Parts: sequence; structure tokens; C-alpha cells
Amino acid sequence: MRRVRKSNLLAYIVLTILAVLWFIPLYLALTTSLKTPREVSEMNYLAPPAQPQIENYVDAWNSGIGLGLFNSIIISIPTTLICLLLGSWSGYFLSRFRFKHAPLVFFIATIATFMPYQIVLIPITQLIASLNLGQSHLGLIFAYTLLNTPLATLVTATFFTTIPKELEEAAYIDGCGPIRIYWNIILPVAKPALASAAILVFTQVWNEFLIALTLSTPSTKPVTPIVAELKGNYVAQWHIQMAGAVLAVLPPLILFLFMGKYFIRGLLAGTLKA
Amino acid sequence: MKASFKYAIIFLSPLFFILGILYFMTFWTIYISFTDWVGMKPNYSLAGLKWYEYMLSSEKFWVSLKNNILWLLVFIAPTAVLGLLIAYVLELYIVRGESVYRAIFLYPTALSFVVTGTLWAWIYDPANGVLNSILSALGFDTSKLGWICDPNIAIYCLIAAAIWQYTGFAIVLFQSALRGGYLKNIIEAALVDGASGWKLLRYIIIPNIRSAFVIVAALLAIFSLKVFDLVYVMTQGGPGISTYVLAFYMYMTTFWQQMVSLGAAISVVIFSLSMIIIIPYSYYALKRWLLR
Repeated sequence: MRRVRKSNLLAYIVLTILAVLWFIPLYLALTTSLKTPREVSEMNYLAPPAQPQIENYVDAWNSGIGLGLFNSIIISIPTTLICLLLGSWSGYFLSRFRFKHAPLVFFIATIATFMPYQIVLIPITQLIASLNLGQSHLGLIFAYTLLNTPLATLVTATFFTTIPKELEEAAYIDGCGPIRIYWNIILPVAKPALASAAILVFTQVWNEFLIALTLSTPSTKPVTPIVAELKGNYVAQWHIQMAGAVLAVLPPLILFLFMGKYFIRGLLAGTLKA
Repeated sequence: MKASFKYAIIFLSPLFFILGILYFMTFWTIYISFTDWVGMKPNYSLAGLKWYEYMLSSEKFWVSLKNNILWLLVFIAPTAVLGLLIAYVLELYIVRGESVYRAIFLYPTALSFVVTGTLWAWIYDPANGVLNSILSALGFDTSKLGWICDPNIAIYCLIAAAIWQYTGFAIVLFQSALRGGYLKNIIEAALVDGASGWKLLRYIIIPNIRSAFVIVAALLAIFSLKVFDLVYVMTQGGPGISTYVLAFYMYMTTFWQQMVSLGAAISVVIFSLSMIIIIPYSYYALKRWLLR
């Protein structure tokens, strides 16, 4: 709608007030995470820090956030890769081939995508325990892979439908089988779509709390339950809590800031509105 | 292309394997809800509706259900309306800096609820939180403003934090609808005809944006029924049990009190309520998928 946009002063004023309100929590977290305990106790929260205190970050890091970030990376990255590989593998078939029960497959996968985690939580803990995965990161990787592969399948399938069919047909005539077409044609062409899907799954897994809380051990705990613990261990020590919170959100926030277009595309694709 | 059976098996078996596990686990939870499992060790002897009856006689269940319904009523409409209005203004009246505004409204969707919960718990802290410190600096008496420590308003404080976090999501969905070919053409035609402001919104956009509205409302409703993280981090269900929601009740029952069959019964309730929205939504997604 570039052509028809009309600048409007009132719109700018109202929107700016709202934007300031929306930005304040992040501003508070960033500034307070750099303050001394004394500055924090003065409760002059909107004031910037007199002298940035990097030590708060060191303290937060050492009280578990460092370990949490490490665990979250160890869990989120392999999960994202596995989900994308399995998802695009089945998604390719779902988007490209005609078969009788395709709508049914799509339907049951959609329901699985949105179903609340609570309905599988108890069996998941049983399954992880019986597979002896409870003590390692593998348990969480396994659980998250189960829960996010249907989403990855549907999102990649939706993206694949936009790739022109002529591309594969030429390869098909040259004697390429579906597996080679998937690997040599679809995946390379779909790189931007795969990036969006990867950001969606990664952010989802990184930010997940319920499964992380239930399945992790002290040594495999991802960053979300650790932030929750920090809140209990550093009661009213807002500077440490905020330093921990800022560290915990950095990876998804960086993806959002530097790959915003892909982030938004992933967010939209995740709704399956097509 | 037409699918051969061999390739259907090769390509779809990982998905079927995973869906098989997920659906099996769903039935397993339903089964557990009819057994008598209390404590660490599973007890699969059938107990009929015992735990459902227990659940229905528990005050926590009714408070949780009431709060989830409150969440549906108080969270969805403001988020959707605010999202639509902001998307509308961004699309039509902002010539410069649109992407900056959008980024500011959208960044909360990248954050985890645990982090936003930590942040908002501090903002609402009655003793030395942000809100009361600002209000008292402005000369208000804040001694009676307990926010999340006041059982009468705590749940609304949580919902306000959720609105802050989800508005950007609604904005993105509405913006993409406004940019969709069909609606975009109507709006441009109406603008050429001289329609503007309220009339454009009332007579052109709102009647034509219904499908985006349904998507937003459905997704926010699904979220409302499974909300857990914000409650866990901000209030632990308190003060008293005033901010209990079904997902929190389920977690506490299963993993703290070890009443696993009761926890499974609560899960079945959460699942059933969610399915009222998820099944039609999936059907709707499927219809669009088949139209592609």
C-alpha cells in the first residue's frame, strides 16, 4: 500500500506513545541489569545506570545462566536440525505428490501441531525414563523432536508448494528419482523457507518451559527453568534477575533483530493459514 | 505427481512414526485418567471415574476453570482489537519508520514467557516494583495497590502481561491480511474514491478481514487454554489459589502431589476444551491447503 499511504500526525503521536509503552520493559531490563545494588534500591528505575556494571552479567552467568545457555544450545540446535530434516522429508512428499489420504495426513498432523503439551506430558516422562534418556540431553532433544516435527512438516510443506513444478519435472525427465529431487533441487531452492522454519522451531524450543521444567536434571537444565530459579534465589535483586533474563533472551532476540523477515515469515507460517 | 506406494512409505514413515507416538501418548493419558495412580510407581488398576469426581469436587479445579474462561474473555478481544488498530495505522498512516514501530511491537513475541514473567513480576511488585515506584513518584498513594499480590486483580495483571506479549503477533497477522491481494485492492479502490479514517475501517476493512480475525482469535484461544509459564513464574497460582489455571493445577497435582491419575484427568479436560477450537481450526487450515 506504499502508493496510498498518507502521513498523519495524530497516528504518529498515538503510535509513538504505544511504542514507548511497549519498549519500556526491555529498556528497564537492559538498564537495570547494568546498575549497582544501591542504584537499584533507590527505585529510580527509569534512570539510566551511572556506570554500567558488567559484573552483574558475570554473577548471573555464574549462578547457572552460563550452564543453562550451554544446555539450551546443546538441546535446541540438534532438535531444530532433526525436525527440519524429518519435516522437510515428509513435507516434500505431502506437498508434491497426489495420494488419496493426503488430506487426512494433513489434518492429523495439524491437530498434533496445536495439541496442548499437557496431554502427552505424563507419557513423555515415562517414555524418556524407560529409554534411559532422563539423565542426558538426549531426553529433551527426543521430546522436543516429537513435539515439533509435525509443525516443521506442515510449515515446510506449505513453503514447498510455492516452488514451481517445472523445476522438478525437468529433473524427472532426466531420470532423477524423488529422493534426488528432494535433496538436489527442493532443499537448495527452498533455503530461505528452511531458514524461516528453522527460526520458528528454534525459538519455540529455546523458549519452551513446561517440558524443560519436567524432564531436565540439574546438569541438563535449559536456560528457561534456570531463569525461573534465579527469580527465587535472588529475591528483589532485580539487577541480577534482569542480567540473567537478558542473557536468556539473546539468541532468539538476535535472530529477530537480524533476520526479522525470516522470523516474521516463520511466525506466519506457524499459524498454517497458508 | 502421482505417488507410488514405495515412495509414500519412504517419505512418510518418519512422520507417521512420530504422529503414532503422539497419538498413542494421548490415548495413554486418557487411559491413566481412569486408573488409580498415586505416588511414584504406576498403578494401572482401573478406578473408573474416581479422579474425575475428585476433580469436580475440588475448589482448585473450579477456580482454574474460571480463570481460563476469564483468560478467554479478557485476553482475546483486547489483543485482537489492538492488533488490528495498530496494523491498520501502520499500513495506512505511517510513511516513515514503519519497520521500527513494528519491531518494537513485535519483539516480545521472540521472548520466552519465563523472561517476560520475570520482568512483569518485578514491574508489578507492590513493595519495590516499577509500577508502584512510578505511581508514587507521581504522588499517588500506592500502599493499597498490591497488583499481583492482590487476589482480586492478580489474574488481570497476568492477562495484561500476556496482551503486551501477544499484540505484535496479532499485528503481523492483520498486516499480512491487509496486504493480501484481494483486500488490498478494495482498500486502494476505496481510497481513490475518497474514503478515509473511520469509514474505511468500519465499512471496508472490518467486514473483509473476518478470516484473519478468526485465525487470531482461534490461536489466542488455544494459547489461553494452555497458559502455564506466566502463572508459574509470576504468582505460583497465588495469592492463595486466586491465579490457578488448569495447566498449573495439572502440573502441581502430577509432579508435586504425585496424584498422577488426577493430573491425567485434568489434562483430558485441557485437551477436550482445546479440541473444541483445534479441530475446526485444523479443518479450516486443511480447506485452505486443498485450495492451494
